[in-house]
Amino acid sequence: MVKLDEEVDAKVDEAIKELFNSEKPWITIVWDDPVNLMSYVTYVLIELFSFSREKAHELMMQIHTEGKAVVSTGSREEMEHDVARLHEYGLWATLQRGDQVI
Amino acid sequence: MTTNSGELPKGFNRHGSNDYIAYFSTEEREVLLNLVEQIIELLSERSDNHSDDPLAEMVGITSHDSPPEDDVLLRLLPNAYADQVDASEFRRYTELTLRTKKSAHAMSMRIDLKSSTDGCVEIDHEGANAWLGAMNDIRLALGVRLKVQENSQEELEILAPDDPMRGVYAVYSWLGWLQESLIQALMDDAL
Repeated sequence: MVKLDEEVDAKVDEAIKELFNSEKPWITIVWDDPVNLMSYVTYVLIELFSFSREKAHELMMQIHTEGKAVVSTGSREEMEHDVARLHEYGLWATLQRGDQVI
Repeated sequence: MTTNSGELPKGFNRHGSNDYIAYFSTEEREVLLNLVEQIIELLSERSDNHSDDPLAEMVGITSHDSPPEDDVLLRLLPNAYADQVDASEFRRYTELTLRTKKSAHAMSMRIDLKSSTDGCVEIDHEGANAWLGAMNDIRLALGVRLKVQENSQEELEILAPDDPMRGVYAVYSWLGWLQESLIQALMDDAL
């Protein structure tokens, strides 16, 4: 019984790991830009991602002070969609694998 | 990013429950129209030389996948990937859509300005987002021309009176202030 449970656990772990790796390996990064207004970046993040004001402000400050911030995580297709929407509003965004060095 | 601290009494204000209103002088309206029309033209530049395949065009696929050579256009239509192969592939399938969406923002702003007879522009939330996108594209374009950097504000503010960039910077600053007024009106709204 113990052995079986362990096997099941191991299989579940493997499945979770696989799911995580296959479905959440991509990230959307917004880069700092000298033209975009801080208030505009905050507003666009609220409009596009339905972030709270606090969360949007926090991300905007991270972009401003650190030069970049990860604003969303998900499948490659989802991140391409997010980047396209950010580009539509003039934010400088790119996507990449989550395990790549930014 | 930058802040905009130059406060003036005009710009956009909330009007009623869902609208935003601004009054422009004849000169201001002309400047805005001129700029937004330049953006529309800029965004359409590549559209006539990229697809011989009507089916590909219909589904938004372009035959070119290289980044724009013009710095302004490259800022408006940036690469989505650091990797050039991925960036090209993404551009091939999405650039036309991005141009179309940006053009739609600019055209919405243009129609609002054109249809205003007394300088009064009244827009709803959707219209406001189109204006914000279009004003931002204009500022990005002017910013490239002005070579705006993170700390270049001081340099740009002391341009010589005969420097042609002085006027460009004045318009750039004014647009930033106008954009800020609309953002503030929208953000107050959500409180």
